[in-house]
Amino acid sequence: MAGTARSGRRSRAFTPYLLVLPAVAYLAVFFVVPMWSLLRTSLSENTGSVFLPTLEFNWNFTNYTDAFSDFHDQIVRSFVYGGLATLICLVLAYPLAYVIAFKSGRYKNFLLGLVIVPFFVTFLVRTLAWKTILADDGWLVDVLGKVGMLPSEGRLLSTSWAVVGGLVYNFLPFMVLPLYVSLEKLDPRLIEAARDLYSGSWRAFRKVILPLSMPGVLAGSLLVFIPAAGDFINAQYLGGTQNTMIGNVIEKQFLVVKDYPAAAALSFVLMALILAAVLAYTWALGTEDLV
Amino acid sequence: MAGNHPTRPVPDLSRRRFLGRGAAGAAAVVLGPSLLAACGGDDDSASSGGGGGENSGGKNLRISNWPFYIADGFVASFQKASGLKVSYKEDFNDNEEWFAKVKDSLKAGQDIGTDLVVPSEFMAARLIRLGWLDKLDDSKLPNKANLRSDLLDSTADAKREHSLPYMSGMVGLAYNRKATGRDITSIDDLWDPKFKGRVTLFSDQQDGLGMIMQSLGDDPANPTEEAVQKAADKVAEEKDKGQIRRFTGNDYADDLASGNTAIAQAYSGDVVQLAADNPDLNFIVPESGGTTFVDVMVIPTTTRNKAGAEEWMNYVYDRANYAKLIVAVQYVPVLTDMTDELTKLDPDVAKNPLVNPPAATLDKLAIWPSLSDEDEAKYTTIYADVTGE
Repeated sequence: MAGTARSGRRSRAFTPYLLVLPAVAYLAVFFVVPMWSLLRTSLSENTGSVFLPTLEFNWNFTNYTDAFSDFHDQIVRSFVYGGLATLICLVLAYPLAYVIAFKSGRYKNFLLGLVIVPFFVTFLVRTLAWKTILADDGWLVDVLGKVGMLPSEGRLLSTSWAVVGGLVYNFLPFMVLPLYVSLEKLDPRLIEAARDLYSGSWRAFRKVILPLSMPGVLAGSLLVFIPAAGDFINAQYLGGTQNTMIGNVIEKQFLVVKDYPAAAALSFVLMALILAAVLAYTWALGTEDLV
Repeated sequence: MAGNHPTRPVPDLSRRRFLGRGAAGAAAVVLGPSLLAACGGDDDSASSGGGGGENSGGKNLRISNWPFYIADGFVASFQKASGLKVSYKEDFNDNEEWFAKVKDSLKAGQDIGTDLVVPSEFMAARLIRLGWLDKLDDSKLPNKANLRSDLLDSTADAKREHSLPYMSGMVGLAYNRKATGRDITSIDDLWDPKFKGRVTLFSDQQDGLGMIMQSLGDDPANPTEEAVQKAADKVAEEKDKGQIRRFTGNDYADDLASGNTAIAQAYSGDVVQLAADNPDLNFIVPESGGTTFVDVMVIPTTTRNKAGAEEWMNYVYDRANYAKLIVAVQYVPVLTDMTDELTKLDPDVAKNPLVNPPAATLDKLAIWPSLSDEDEAKYTTIYADVTGE
């Protein structure tokens, strides 16, 4: 009897590990293995024919140096566009999330629903719809032209403005939702307490609301910046010949030029730079106990 | 640690921590798929175009073709005439994409789910070099005699032993008369500063650079690396000036129809169809010349019904049948003078110089020769360096 009791306890102790096994197996098969293969590819050289490449792994680090020297413009551009989009999203989303969290009363769920509604239309269609809105003969260009606010190209479509605008539009909900969650959980009594202690609105915001919503700011920024910096759809459809991002280069290297090692190296460069940017950002926000 | 920071509101710490983890987790989720997508590029699905696996020869024929490349009722009438059961799929969208999908199967001699495909000529040439196409049996193809003689002598496939042209088309310039305010005749118009930022070029190397090479006095039919580089440099120069709005695939048509672009490199058949809705659109072959492309019917060695595929080819090459295809897709016929048959079906199509081009126009068109793998890759890279940056 004692034996069965012990084995029963032991099997219970194993249960959590058994439950996590499918997730671990899934990640191993679809994340770790492809990552490993991508890493090997990025350090390989094509020794076969052009169209039936045979990749030979030989620590070919020139793929990485070439990635930097050939596509340094696009790398910089991706980070500038991604950073700008994140900043604009933050500026737009913060007041919105604040109003939904504190001022919307019974319309709260309705307003949150509105934020999510665009997701019901696919990413690609939403981006293509922007082509119609920004068209050279469209009303927006017409209005901006009349008030003299058009960019120097004299158009909106196929400019960097359109690309950043498209990124902001497509990723805005990713900023609103985490901000809303962190603001909504904020105890209003803390704000009252700040008022009781004679702090003005601005000071209460700076000292109480903003610090407490920092996790939302961080989560939202990561959710916007990471996909935005690697995006290629917006640059492809809304950008021009001078607005290509690193995602476009990777796509071209993979599908047109078929230089798989170069494309893999570029993917890793992008990933490493994004990781570095994310770590720096997390560190700068002083949220070391978050991660 | 938390106890050392009395100023920090304690009740919130757990949530902060939770949210922080949430963000890191979300970051991992976001990173994951993009990486997977990135490395899926080279070796994903060697799976066939779907279905058909259970068909084994005899009465079944599986055909893969480009979208909108057939006439209504054409497949049905072939089935009636031949007694074959045809599974016709419009799942061929891009030569290189298709090649990436089927290359491993073809190499291993495994079925790719189709008995007849319609790639572009350069792709057919590559398949021939790799030995992946069946040789055609001319005794089963009496209608092959209808083929234009200029297409019979091809550098891609001498005497057409492995491929038969399906459609041909012109690569030239399309313009929106309302946007340009004048008729366009040459490549110089393309570089006119008046149209700065309102011009699109093809990102495909052969279609994009061919007519530029001609305008610089080179011949795409005898390409050299210097000539390709010279044309690419010219495009790069105009790009840096802001003249070129976008490098496009088939999506040039939207910008042209909506008036965003004034002049675009274009395919003749598209413009015929677009001009039906928008009479301001015109297509020209530039004075210095344009190029022409040919899509060809081929039978992969893994076919399960070679005889049926040849029967289809012969049926397509019947003049009366072929006229139906031309009226529907409005590209340039690959058979010798089709005027009579087209007039019977639709006199307007027969008279349309874009569908039934006069000899003077055909003379201005050059065809890229079949290139070696190395040259093709070299030229592609030269142009990708311009279009990709």
